[in-house]
Amino acid sequence: MSETQTTIPSSELNNMTFKQASEELETIVRELESNQLELEESLIRYERGVALLRMLQSRLQDAQQKVSVLLGQIEPESDDSIDTTLS
Amino acid sequence: MSETLSVSQALNLAKGSLEKVSATIVGEISEYSDKPGYKAVYFTITDKSAALPCMMWRSVFDKLDLALKQGMLVEVSGFFSVYIAKGRMNFSAQSMRLAGEGDLRLKVAQLARKLEAEGLMSPTRKLPLPAMPTKVAVVTSPRGKAIHDVLRTLRRRFPLAEVQVVGVPVEGDAAPKALIEGIEVAQQAKSDVILLVRGGGSYEDLMPFNDEALARAIVASSIPVVTGIGHEPDNSIADMVSSYRASTPTAAAEHVVPDIRELKMRLANQGKALSAALTNRVERLDNAVVNVRSRALFTDPLFLVGDHLQNLEQSTQRLSIAIPNALRSDVHQVEVLKGRLARIVSTLTSHQQSRLQLLAAQLESLSPLAVLARGYSIAYDDKGYIVDSVYVVEPGDTLDVHVSDGDYHCRVEAKTEKDRMKLDLETDADE
Repeated sequence: MSETQTTIPSSELNNMTFKQASEELETIVRELESNQLELEESLIRYERGVALLRMLQSRLQDAQQKVSVLLGQIEPESDDSIDTTLS
Repeated sequence: MSETLSVSQALNLAKGSLEKVSATIVGEISEYSDKPGYKAVYFTITDKSAALPCMMWRSVFDKLDLALKQGMLVEVSGFFSVYIAKGRMNFSAQSMRLAGEGDLRLKVAQLARKLEAEGLMSPTRKLPLPAMPTKVAVVTSPRGKAIHDVLRTLRRRFPLAEVQVVGVPVEGDAAPKALIEGIEVAQQAKSDVILLVRGGGSYEDLMPFNDEALARAIVASSIPVVTGIGHEPDNSIADMVSSYRASTPTAAAEHVVPDIRELKMRLANQGKALSAALTNRVERLDNAVVNVRSRALFTDPLFLVGDHLQNLEQSTQRLSIAIPNALRSDVHQVEVLKGRLARIVSTLTSHQQSRLQLLAAQLESLSPLAVLARGYSIAYDDKGYIVDSVYVVEPGDTLDVHVSDGDYHCRVEAKTEKDRMKLDLETDADE
């Protein structure tokens, strides 16, 4: 493995879904904990694990829910329920 | 008409007339008596201002398979009658069924049994829920509390998921069809999970969720459907055939997404686990290296040569013992030889002694000293050379002249050359 191959392109990570990334992270953690990898391989996995972790954490940090309306039109909550929320 | 009748006659007359009046009556059961051994069951149905005692022959009642309870709304069909012995009017129910919600419940229960018999509620038919949905579809009314409860819950728990709102009417005759359409829209939008929810309402309000076609659409959905319909005790057909039944819209939303706080915690733990695993790995390797390093091979400089060294030392020792031993034996041998030699020498000496004495005597006779004794002398120059020629010393030089019993220290006064020619010739011949 050359140096350039171990660095993970951020576009590759950004294209992953949260689920994919966290599943891969979980796999990496388990592999590392199994202690059956060569040290070199461990380091490569560790690096990827850290990259995934950072990406996932930043996604959680910046998460803004996207709401798309496929049918109908959402009406705001009635005054009553807003009042109860506030009180 | 003025004919006087006995009580029995009168009541029989009334009974005959009343029994011609048949009716279908809806009322709420206020009293109910089902005593074993009695040939009939007795109950009273009421409305706000009237009460009607009713009876039903047990043989008919048992076939209905109805568990009557106070407060139940029932619809009875039959005719009025009179209990002659007590002079009491009652309604003889020939048939009875649940009315209103009771009727709905019965129909729903029957549908539930039917669908269950088809296996539509089997746990094996229920689709597994995604652990972490990317798209969550919400099929519900676009107005009212439910949609906002769901949106709020999803935003709080898992803002990563995209929420796809499918707003449809959830009440009225058109609702089942709209709900089915909503599920189809969600499938087309490739949602990961569908929330089919609505807020609380009366049993009648929730009836669209007991629709058979909707139940079949839920079962047919390729995407898991999670229901949260009404409040806790409400249980609809949709609930029964869904992949997961939550008690409320909020509970349904909570169930389909992970909690972001738990995710953050899990990520933090995974980060720790990553570092720990690697550290552990390195430590193990380090220990392994230390182990190897601490082996005698590396710590004991003599590990590899030790054995040879020991051999060498033994050899040295053996050698140091061997040499003196050999020497001792040599010395001994020398001693032996010396002894033998000494013996040989001693015999040799005695053998040669007489010969030596003879030789000594011969030698004596040849000694120049003997010549001197006969009157000859020898002259030496000052350098100790024998003077045998007239040309060796000049007048004035000193000579030592040895005679047999002493020396003369002399000075040459003059010299006389003898035969010059003869001497020259001899000199030439010498050259």
